[in-house]
Amino acid sequence: MIRVLYLTRSSLRFIQLFYSFFKTLVGKEIAVELKNDVVLTGTLHSVDQYLNIKLTTVNVVNRERYPQLTVLKNCFIRGSVVRYVQINPGDVDTELLQDATRKENSPPVGGKASEAKK
Amino acid sequence: MASTLSEWKSKSVTVLTCDGRLISGTLRGYDQLQNLVLQKSHEVVYSVDSPPERIELGLFVVRGDNVAVISDGEIGIAKGVGGDDDDDDGGGGIRAEPIGEIAGNR
Repeated sequence: MIRVLYLTRSSLRFIQLFYSFFKTLVGKEIAVELKNDVVLTGTLHSVDQYLNIKLTTVNVVNRERYPQLTVLKNCFIRGSVVRYVQINPGDVDTELLQDATRKENSPPVGGKASEAKK
Repeated sequence: MASTLSEWKSKSVTVLTCDGRLISGTLRGYDQLQNLVLQKSHEVVYSVDSPPERIELGLFVVRGDNVAVISDGEIGIAKGVGGDDDDDDGGGGIRAEPIGEIAGNR
């Protein structure tokens, strides 16, 4: 029971990490690829804990294929339909992100790490 | 910071569903799962070999699972059954392939 609780807590923290990461990208230009291959670019307006994304000044990348989507200007994208988020490399501090993921995945003190040492 | 739909409440919105349909209507209600209540809604069906067709749906509840994208504004094709191909109000004369389904949603 405790184990399950720990798992949910750690996965929650993991989601929180990416939530925080996306929050640092607010105001930046990103491209969101949906699971139906539609790619929307726009300025990241906001993000929430489910990684739902709000974009402003939206453009459809394959405009000739999806002319009906040019009506999209400001949109809310449900996190569950997102396949990729493409980010300008200059907008990401990869070292900071790597450090953060390491910290998130390091076992708690007195946990598995100390057992492994024995 | 949080992405909510509050700013679109009582406004016209267009919803792209997971099966690739476009439904416009007035957003009357929503919750944190993106379950939506749309009033006076209509679907616009696009196809390659005929002009867009407007289908009146009335009051519509969309379960959040089926929502892909929600956008402000509605698709402007002429009212009445079937869009006419001659108008130039933006959405009118567009012919397009249907939008694909969201893969692995079911």
